[in-house]
Parts: sequence; C-alpha cells; structure tokens
Amino acid sequence: MTYARQKHMSYWILVLPGILVFASIIIFPVLFSFSLSFTTWNGYGMPTFAGLENYRTIISDPVFRHSLRNNLLIVVISVFGQIPIGFLLAYLLHRNMVRHGSFYQTMIFLPITISPVVVALLWNQIFSSSGMVVALVRSFTDNPQYVIRIFEDQQLAIVPILFVLLWMHTGTYMIIYYANLQKMTPSVLEAAQIDGASENQMLMRIILPSMIGTIATTAIFAISGSLKAFDLIYAMTGGGPAHFTEVIAIYMYVNTFKYYKYGFGSAASIIIVLLAVGLIMLLQYFSRRLERRFE
Amino acid sequence: MKMKRLLILAFVSFLIPSLLIAAGTKESAADGVIELSVYHYLDQTDKTTAPNFQHLVDVFEAANPDIKLSFEYGYGESFHDKLQTMAMSGQLPDIVLLYPGERTSQVTSAGLVKDLRPYLSGHEDEFADMAMQAQGENGEIWELPEDISITSIMYTNNRLLAELGLEYPKSYKELLAQGPVIRKAGLIPISIANKDAWPMQSCVAGMLVERACGMEWWDKALSGEASYDDPEFVYAMEIIKELNDKQMFSPGTNQLAYGQGLDDFVNERAVYLLDGGWTVNSMVGELTDEQKTYMSLESFPDIPNQKGQSLSVSATAGQGFGMNTKLSEKEAEAAWKWIWFYSGPEGSAIRQQYGRLPAYNLDEPEVADPMIKKLIAFAGKVPMGYVMDAVIAAEPIGTFNINLQNMMFDTMSPLEVAQDLERMVSSVGR
Repeated sequence: MTYARQKHMSYWILVLPGILVFASIIIFPVLFSFSLSFTTWNGYGMPTFAGLENYRTIISDPVFRHSLRNNLLIVVISVFGQIPIGFLLAYLLHRNMVRHGSFYQTMIFLPITISPVVVALLWNQIFSSSGMVVALVRSFTDNPQYVIRIFEDQQLAIVPILFVLLWMHTGTYMIIYYANLQKMTPSVLEAAQIDGASENQMLMRIILPSMIGTIATTAIFAISGSLKAFDLIYAMTGGGPAHFTEVIAIYMYVNTFKYYKYGFGSAASIIIVLLAVGLIMLLQYFSRRLERRFE
Repeated sequence: MKMKRLLILAFVSFLIPSLLIAAGTKESAADGVIELSVYHYLDQTDKTTAPNFQHLVDVFEAANPDIKLSFEYGYGESFHDKLQTMAMSGQLPDIVLLYPGERTSQVTSAGLVKDLRPYLSGHEDEFADMAMQAQGENGEIWELPEDISITSIMYTNNRLLAELGLEYPKSYKELLAQGPVIRKAGLIPISIANKDAWPMQSCVAGMLVERACGMEWWDKALSGEASYDDPEFVYAMEIIKELNDKQMFSPGTNQLAYGQGLDDFVNERAVYLLDGGWTVNSMVGELTDEQKTYMSLESFPDIPNQKGQSLSVSATAGQGFGMNTKLSEKEAEAAWKWIWFYSGPEGSAIRQQYGRLPAYNLDEPEVADPMIKKLIAFAGKVPMGYVMDAVIAAEPIGTFNINLQNMMFDTMSPLEVAQDLERMVSSVGR
C-alpha cells in the first residue's frame, strides 16, 4: 500500500465514526421527516401517502398563520432589537462611554446564563394573575378583579414574550460585538481621530463597515434561533391562552406529540426549515450587497 | 507496522461507541428474583404523592421479596412524550401506567399491552361498574383502574358563606346572584385556574353537558346519533360563557396555572372551588383541622331547563397499570401481582387513607381524615356522567379546550365552539 493510500485510508477511518453519527442523528432524521411529511402516520402501523395534504392543511390553518406571525415578530425583535441594542451596548462599552463598564457587561450578559425555564418562571411570578405586580396593583387600587389584560389580547399577548426575549438574548450579541470590536486595530481609529473625524463618522465609516460580516453572522443566528423558539415560550405560556402566543415549534410539538400526527408535525418542521433557509438566503443577499458597497 | 496501527485505530474507533451503547442494556435478574421495569406517572418533587407512592412500593416489596421493581417516572406532557418514544422504539417497560380512553391509545391500540381480563377473572364485581367498562374494541381491559375520578366537585367554604349571609345556592340563578356579594367582599366566587385549558373542560363543561343534555343524549352523541352542535350542547357552552362574563370565575382564570385555584381556596380567598376529587389528596395536608370542619363537597346547582340528572357530576374510572405483551408467563404473573396489589384491596385501602377514591369497592374506613370521609360520602350520593376527555379523542378535545378559552375571550361564540367540536369529532371518527 502506498503512503498516499494509507494516508487516505487513515483519514477515512478517523472521520467515518463521526460521519456515521452525524448521518444517523442529523441526516437520517431530516430525510425521514421530509418523507414523513407527505404521509399520515399516528406512530404505529404503516404511514399512508397523503401527497401535499399536510402542507395544504397547515397553510390554511388560522392557528398556524397566527403562529407564523408570532415567529416573524420574534425574528423582527431579534434582528431589529437584540442586534442593534447589542451592538450599541458593545460600542458604548468599547469606547469607554460609561463608567464601570465591566459591571454593566456582566449584568447585561447575566440573563443568558440562566435556564430559559427559570427565566419563564421568574417572569410568570412577576406578571401572572397570581404574580407580584398584579398583587401590588390590586392592593393599591383596592380592585381584587385586576389582571393584566395584555396577556388576554389575541394580537398583543406575544408582546411580553418579545420583551423577555429581548432582555434575555441581547447580552449574547453584545458579547460577540464587544469581542469583535476589541479585535479592531486601535491605530485606525486614532488616525481617524487625528484627522478630525467625529464619533459619528468613525462609527458609520470605519466601525460599522468592518463589522458587516459579524452582523450578518449574528443575524443568521437570530433568524434560525427565532424560528425554532420553543423552550422559553412553552415554559411561560405553553402557547396559550387560546393559541395567542403559539409559535410554529409549539404548533408542531402539539400536533406531533399530543395528537399523534407525525406526518403533519413533520410537514410543520419542514416549513420551519424552509422559512429559515429562505430568510437566511435573503439576509446573505443583502449582506453581500452591503459588503460590495463598502469595498 | 503502519497497517497494524491503522487496524488498532479502527478497532478503538468502533469499540468506544459499542461500549457506550452496551452500558445501557439491562442485566438479567439473578437468584430467582424477577426484575421488572415500571414506567409511572409521578411528580417526584411533590411532597405528598411521592412519599405516599413510595410507601406502597415498600409495602409491596416487603411482601414480595422475589420481585424487584425498577421505576422510571415521568410527569406532565413529558410522561406522554417518553411513553410514545418507548412504544415506537419497541422499548416499552414491563409494567406501564395507562389511561382509559384515548390518552395512551398509541400503546393500547398498537397491541403492545396484554388484555388483563384472564388475570382479573372472578374479581370484576369487586370493582365499581365504571371501572370495569371495556377499554378495547373487543371488551379488553388494558389497565386496571386505580381510582374513580370525580372531576367536578364544588368545594365550598361554609364559614365565608355564613359571614356573607349566604347559603349554598339551590339553583344556578341563586349562584349567579351571589357573585356581586362575594366580589364586593373582595373574594373570588368560584376559584378555577384554566391556564392549561383542560380544567374548564374537565371540571365544568362535562358536568354541564350532562345537565343540559342528559345521559341519553350523551350516549347518542358518542355513537353519532346526536350532534355536538345540537342546541342542548350549545346551551351548556352558553352557561360557561355566562359564568365567565358575570365574573364568577377567578380573575384572569386563563392566566392562572393549575394549583393556583386550590391555593386561593385553601387560603380562603375564594368561596367555592371547582376541581376534581383528586384535590382532596392535597387538602388533607393543606387544610387545618378547623378548616376541615367548615369545608364541604357539593354539586354544582341545577341549571334552568335541565334535561340531565339533578346534581350530577362528571366522573371516570382513572388510570392504572398495564403490562407488556412481551412478558413471559412467569414475568406476567409477577407483573400482575403488582397490578393487583396496587389497584386491588391492599393498595386501594392504603390509597384511600391518602385521600383517593379507589375503583375497588371498599367499606368506609373507620379512621380517616374528615375530608376523605366527606369525599367518600359525596361519591356515594351523586349521579355521575361522562368526563369529556375520557370519551372524546385527543385532538378534538384538545381543540375544544382551547376553544373554551377563545369563547371566554369573545373570539368564538358558544355555537362556534360546538360546531367546531362536531366538525373535529366527525373528521377523526367517533
């Protein structure tokens, strides 16, 4: 056996277990789920081919459409809330615009270190009908019937969850941007300062253009994370009341594991994947255009 | 030499995962002891039910040293998720907790558990009739019900009622009239926590459907001769809507996690609590001796134009253990010993002491907590109708639960709720 062949074989031997594990826990389930999405199957017996029926039912289901709307709101709050605020905070810290920066850095990052279930319980303790805020308002207003009505509004019930998501995840983006800002060569900014550039000019002409790649990457994280959002929302509201805070992942979970509609649930999961891929491709298109503009 | 190294490397690469997989397999029992795996529904953090259940296990194992039970627990939805995974992967434990109706049909309908009738033969009359109803298409009994669950008891705080100058209402109208008086005193008229959506269906709707429609209609609806959008059924939904609109339920009931209803009642912030008989289990520990003297168990008052039985409640034979079809004869005998111990006379007597209402017919205990005595007396005097989630499939009832919330938020009308239930039931089959 030649040396090159032995080398080739050793690569395969080292990589093969990994490939097998990856194929069995990632590729096979994805392909299985994709094929299952064209069937009706309740977990036992043979699946029955149903063509595009599952997809048609899902798209015409008002609960799915409301879930999709909630998911898109989460994408919006992530991309246009968590990312800009995260960047702004990182920028303020990096440029030493606040005193005790390391304290704020820790405090802002803290929520992401807490389990989403604990976060959900914490916010529920504060705002639910049996929570602290309601108890205080009831005692001050002498109105024992008081409840926070936003949680019972079909259109607005998702808002408190968006706020919690913003509070929870902004710290992650702040840390990413802060790390990338620290990698910038200080002499570039110093030179700009000597040349008389204002803070605004430095931000818009030097810092932001050099961060486009990082921003695009974090936006991909934000989009994919938003579309598969489940744990925090499930623990906070379970998608309720009356589906008001439901997202596609909960819709998929309920149909698959409560109603035993595996084909239907698979179709919902494929829709999540397609949405994520579509939005990420759109984002990459815009980020490439921006990069070309600043080249 | 290099080839040898490559072979060793390949061997190690495959050996490690193999060892990891092998580490999870079960060893066979030794010394004639039969080892059985059991999957049970239990909240292990619950300070009441967890030690109570462990006591039952200890009593059984002391009496049967030749049987070793290895328990695995699940709670809430995760119990059902795991059960499904076990069933689909062919790894169903030897003994498993099952539910009547559709809740665990992925196990019972797939033929994964034994029919218990041959083991039970001769003991049928020792159980409440409700518990011996067929669970399979051919009359099979897949699980031996441990309890009778009354799901719609109106727990009443008679001390608060007396303080407000009120008496337990004889009619629905009287109940509604009490609402403003109770609220004016800063109290909740009827405590119920419906965030999880099932309590309004299980503890209120089923009872009201029997009252509004009667058992004859119920049986016709189940066989398809009557429809869920019949005016009688819509009327039952209208009662729920009226109770909600007149602020009879806990404020923000659809935001309150189950457990808050009991909390408000035990802490005397509510005059009534609409909940199931299983709640007595918690009341035994949570109510003081003095409170137990003035708390009573009542039926929801009769409604106008009632077709059903006066003061009826909704009730069902509860869950119980079943056994895996794959068990050998010897293992099945051992599994039956546990099942019979748990739901039969011995286990039932112990569970009765803890505040449960066993499906096995027992005499009233001489020494028992006052709340348990009240529950037993109550069960003996009230007529019983169906619990909706025990007789309607999972998907229609899941949607119905949510639709009740929608109705309370005015995003659906009582008629639409009824029509949607009929549509769902017709599409999945009765």
